[in-house]
Amino acid sequence: MRIKLKHGEEEKEFIKRVSELSDQNVYKCYQCGRCSAGCPFAFEMDLLPNQIIRMVQMGQYDEIVRSKTLTLCASCFTCHARCPKGIDLAKLMEAIRLIVDPKGKDQFGPDEVPVELANELPQQVLVAVYRKFSK
Amino acid sequence: MKLHYYPGCTLKEKTTNLDDSTVAAMDVLGYELIEPEGWTCCGAEYPLTEDKIVGLAAPVRILRQIEIEGADKVTTTCAFCYSVLKRANKAMLDDPLKYKRINAFLKDDIKIDPVSNNKTTGFPEYGCTVDVVHLLEFLRDDVGYDKIRSCIKRDLNNMKVAAYYGCRLLRPNKEVGIDDPEDPTIFETFLETLGCEPIDYPFKQECCGSYLSVSLPDAASEASYQVLRSASLNGADVIALSCPLCYYNLDRRQKLIREHHPEFSGMPILFFTQLLAWALGVDEKILGLDQHYNDPGPVLHQYSSAEVSS
Repeated sequence: MRIKLKHGEEEKEFIKRVSELSDQNVYKCYQCGRCSAGCPFAFEMDLLPNQIIRMVQMGQYDEIVRSKTLTLCASCFTCHARCPKGIDLAKLMEAIRLIVDPKGKDQFGPDEVPVELANELPQQVLVAVYRKFSK
Repeated sequence: MKLHYYPGCTLKEKTTNLDDSTVAAMDVLGYELIEPEGWTCCGAEYPLTEDKIVGLAAPVRILRQIEIEGADKVTTTCAFCYSVLKRANKAMLDDPLKYKRINAFLKDDIKIDPVSNNKTTGFPEYGCTVDVVHLLEFLRDDVGYDKIRSCIKRDLNNMKVAAYYGCRLLRPNKEVGIDDPEDPTIFETFLETLGCEPIDYPFKQECCGSYLSVSLPDAASEASYQVLRSASLNGADVIALSCPLCYYNLDRRQKLIREHHPEFSGMPILFFTQLLAWALGVDEKILGLDQHYNDPGPVLHQYSSAEVSS
């Protein structure tokens, strides 16, 4: 994958906001890849968790926005438990989700719940999915 | 003995089998479960970003009510509720700014009596004196395995059970973990106490798909399938768990999983409280086995005689 690196004010601002919102120091990551090795949804991702961190370190906002990885994080904290530097990737993913589209449309809203499932879904799954993917 | 118990929203609607079996089993062990007055949903997901602290309001309000009622401990069985209440409690203890802001926000709460319409204001600050414990921890530390062993009425005859922890009971391990995040044993020891034979399998702490089962059902059902397959390959007769969402993903989603993996033969799922209640001789009707997609009744009957010895 060829990426033209930019490092202007916009990129610096993005790194700063992700770090502030998630309360994580992304520069701690040295790309060992344990997060991606243990991620239960890595098989569906176009950018692996360690690649997302690298993109954040480089301020590559556009690449991250295009990725579907943000909607695949189930916040299971396996990556966090295994990270040798103690980075909480679930917090990072949530912070990026907020920055990407702070006032825009829901990534997953009530209208998208399948009608045939509406009666059998447990309440907690609906509360959780809206908390994660709705504005 | 009275014990505060926070059931959570799902237990009163979609998984009444978890609620009923918990109440019945704890009754046999001599505990009367008290629900905090006027409890609400805990929010299911702990807010992970620094600026979303309003997500702490609901869990702290519940904890404050428990504190007002004079209890120093609350137990939960739902892994999501346990995680949210425990993390919110820890955030209030560790972060003075969050403590101040949440208490300032909750100070203006108004309670309206549904009968007399009287309004109550002026709630005290939450003083962080409540301890949030999962029922598995409570059974180990407060009830004690010896006491459980002495109350057992139905023998489980070494039924092979796969303990499934999932994510919320173990991680983030420094904040909520009830045991080691990679090699937990608390669930297995509990199952041994009941007379089951816990099996070892590599997916016991893997994610079942969680809330992605609504937004991305195919990806989530694949994750659930991996858990079911691993337990099945390692010889489990049944999977025991504590989370209503894991139960939904692993039990009710077996229909979808079969469409993708026709070779999958099915696996019954039980809540750990259902196994406990069964072992303690609680009436089968209370366990709510008819709510399951894959009926665990035959496995239970196959291993233990239906007669309850007195």
